Amino acid sequence: MIGLSPSRKDAFEKVTGRAVFTDDIKLPATLYAKILRAGVAHAEILSIDVSEAEKVEGVVKILTGSDCKDLYFGCCIKDMTPLAVDKVRHAGDAVCAVIADSERAGQEAVKKIKVEYKILPHVLNALSAIAPGAPIIHEKNGEYSSTPGFYPEKGSNIYHRYKQRRGNTEKAFSECEAIVEADFEYPLNAHCAMEPHCCIAQWEGNDRVKIWSSTQGPFVVREGIASMFGLNMSNVEVFVNFLGGGFGCKSDLIIEPLTAFIAKFVPGRPLKLKLTRKEVFTSSVLGRGIQGKIKLGALKDGTLHALEAKLYFISGAYADMGCNVVQAGGYVASGPYEIKNISADAVGVYTNTPPIGAFRGYGHPEAHFMIERSVDMIASKLGMSPSEIRRKNFLCAGKVNGLGQVITKDNGNLHACLAQVEKELFAAPLPENNEEFIYGRGIAALMKTPMMSPNASSGAYVKLADDGSVNVVISGTEMGQGLHTVIAQMVAEFLNIPIEKVFVSKIIDTQYSPQEWQTVASISTYRVGNAVLKACADAKAKILKNASLYLQIPETDLSFDGEKVYLISNPSIFIPLKKLAIGAVAPDGRAIGDPIIGVGSHICRGVESPNPETGTGNSAPQWTFGCQGAEIAVSLKTGKIKIINIATSIDAGKVINPELARIQMIGGMMMGIGSSLTEEILFDDAGQIKNANLNTYKIPTIDDMPEKYSVYFVETPQPDGPFGARCIAEHPAVSVPPAILNAFYNASGADICKIPLTPSLALAALKSKNKDKS
Amino acid sequence: MDYCLNENVKIISFTLNNKKVKAIIDDKTTLLELIRNVFGLMGAKEGCGYGKCGSCTVIMNGKSVRSCITKASKAEGSEIVTIEGLGGDDFSLDPIQEAFIDGGAVQCGFCTPGIIMTLKALFTENPNASEEEIKKALKGHLCRCTGYETILKSALLAKERINNNKK
Repeated sequence: MIGLSPSRKDAFEKVTGRAVFTDDIKLPATLYAKILRAGVAHAEILSIDVSEAEKVEGVVKILTGSDCKDLYFGCCIKDMTPLAVDKVRHAGDAVCAVIADSERAGQEAVKKIKVEYKILPHVLNALSAIAPGAPIIHEKNGEYSSTPGFYPEKGSNIYHRYKQRRGNTEKAFSECEAIVEADFEYPLNAHCAMEPHCCIAQWEGNDRVKIWSSTQGPFVVREGIASMFGLNMSNVEVFVNFLGGGFGCKSDLIIEPLTAFIAKFVPGRPLKLKLTRKEVFTSSVLGRGIQGKIKLGALKDGTLHALEAKLYFISGAYADMGCNVVQAGGYVASGPYEIKNISADAVGVYTNTPPIGAFRGYGHPEAHFMIERSVDMIASKLGMSPSEIRRKNFLCAGKVNGLGQVITKDNGNLHACLAQVEKELFAAPLPENNEEFIYGRGIAALMKTPMMSPNASSGAYVKLADDGSVNVVISGTEMGQGLHTVIAQMVAEFLNIPIEKVFVSKIIDTQYSPQEWQTVASISTYRVGNAVLKACADAKAKILKNASLYLQIPETDLSFDGEKVYLISNPSIFIPLKKLAIGAVAPDGRAIGDPIIGVGSHICRGVESPNPETGTGNSAPQWTFGCQGAEIAVSLKTGKIKIINIATSIDAGKVINPELARIQMIGGMMMGIGSSLTEEILFDDAGQIKNANLNTYKIPTIDDMPEKYSVYFVETPQPDGPFGARCIAEHPAVSVPPAILNAFYNASGADICKIPLTPSLALAALKSKNKDKS
Repeated sequence: MDYCLNENVKIISFTLNNKKVKAIIDDKTTLLELIRNVFGLMGAKEGCGYGKCGSCTVIMNGKSVRSCITKASKAEGSEIVTIEGLGGDDFSLDPIQEAFIDGGAVQCGFCTPGIIMTLKALFTENPNASEEEIKKALKGHLCRCTGYETILKSALLAKERINNNKK
């Protein structure tokens, strides 16, 4: 089953419309919440008048910030309250919650609430927010309860600064043959998972609550809600069904604390909060958003020798979901290269914009955008080809990355990834430029580590039914990536049974399902897979034990082939699995052995916090390497970019399901194309998002498909991965933007360090390039 | 109560997945609310609420419509088919559904029912729709998972199978 592509376990229910998402759950006597959003980016709340709103028929209660004073929550930095208290920090902040017996009544009441604000000056980007005299967004910055490892700068908008220091950059730059310097902008992007966030909370007593949510992290939600309300975690029951896409926007704590808070005011009643599409943009989380600076120096032979990098994250009004994104961006400031002298700062900055959180790639796309463009720029200065300079500097066995970790050959093979992309991209000569189009090709490499909590773990139960079919209970969420199918393949392979006999649990319930950190960081194939394999091994040992007791033959003389346990020396002596699965019955009627329940877990060990001064340490549990490439046509008339070929090669370890892996790569590349060409959150002067809708925030449609998607895998086994597999899912979104901008440089000779590469930006660059020439 | 009515109520009759039905609606009720909250058919999804993403697509009188921006009153006397109305009572699948499984067009599944309904309307009207016509029909559907490659491939596979079945 490993290396094959059986069809998805969940395909039937998804094509028939039977797959259950959170909004499809209907509970009796449900009430609905509608939220009044601030509409202003930064202001003191002077007064709130709900008297007219309360008169709307169907309204049950209206809550304001005075109902949740000091109810701070968060996973890392507890800087959020369910409703804004005293002031609002971004235009999507929640000001009031209306509880009503229908969404319609709730919406009508929201319109009738009157709020008086004292408008404060606002800042919508990181550089403005760290400029002298910038308005302070969190007066309590540095005083919030926080997990260790974050370094807020009190009295400023900087809530965290990660510093990476290696060697001596000042001296190193003086030794360089070529130096490039550039400023970068990767704007805020929206995840646009097709399913909007939805959560239902129901208090069943003062000490217990049930939550149904479209969350990637049911156990994170359990912990967050329990600590927020002082409950036993075991009294918080979180249920998760299918997710209509995640991409990070449903990880950590998003709308669950608000929903649980509101529901507490209508004890016993289920309370549903479903975000409108507009609210998904304004009031859940956004991703990306940096302003950066790079100074990169190389020796005459092309050795990348010195790097100074600054990544200022436009982190939004709350730091909790973004603080580790900042950290991850800093880890990979030097990209997949050995650079011996590094001074990199990744800075988390409060801004009056929606908070950023996890988004496919988690800080890595932002950092790679900067370094991968810079590498091309310095190659051009040295007269080297983009491939040549990369080969010269790639991390490989014995080289040291920015964290100070020594790379081994087991980490994967960047050279092989580049070779595959080159072979694909350069198979035919580049089309000749003509009056209408100019053509270019670009490449960009990548590496990614899963950022996670130090004790992040997965658990699994494998239990046999009477007939020998298998129920696998895991707590990894299925959000489209195909986890259930991949897990079923692993179980089928390990126990040597047909995949049709493996059923993977669809609903996660934190009271019955095994511990799981959360389904993020592309790590479920690896970590849930390892847990499941251990559970299978445990089940297999128990099968053999039952058989041994039944046959009165030592276990060591027996073997299990998926259908029966037999005597190795004489296979005609055997007992079928179905007689052992729930405990055997001897010919004389006595019960023998026990029902088969295999238990397994996996925890990532040895991950340490980086040194506060140098930012180095064994802080990345593993790496996945890859390379991407693009061939583009630029319309000289319109400036529009057409993607002719987009290619990715990832060193995936062992590919468990090639077709699922392939489409994961394609989907990720398309997301990268969106970021590269069209996607950008825009604000008006008052700080409201101008394009908080799917009409004007343009994610790719079928018309934006490139002419060709090319996907390749290198398979250097991950030593501790299940069947050698490693993390691959976010990766295809990481280096598409620099690959496309490098292709644009190749086509036009114009260096652009800002996305999206809109037609007008492209035309302006072409024009200024022509001016240079003339 | 997730189905809320104002004073402008009326009763409408229509055919839903081949069965005659009646429902009380008001002048604000949308077809999507009617399908999900009155009839409990959850296959049509609300992805945006303004007719852009296509997740709520159903078939009305043979044409695919965005049920989130279609007034329920328009259903009066019409024939509506939702994703639940495809295939047979014995869990047999429509060729489009089968092709979506075989062609790997499904990832998170949220956009899937709407896309299948658009293709159903398209292939019912024109079983020989060209690749360009298929792309034009699917332009009104957003999918964030697949990059559309397997969706297009599965649509072409469905078309081929529908035409082969007819021969």
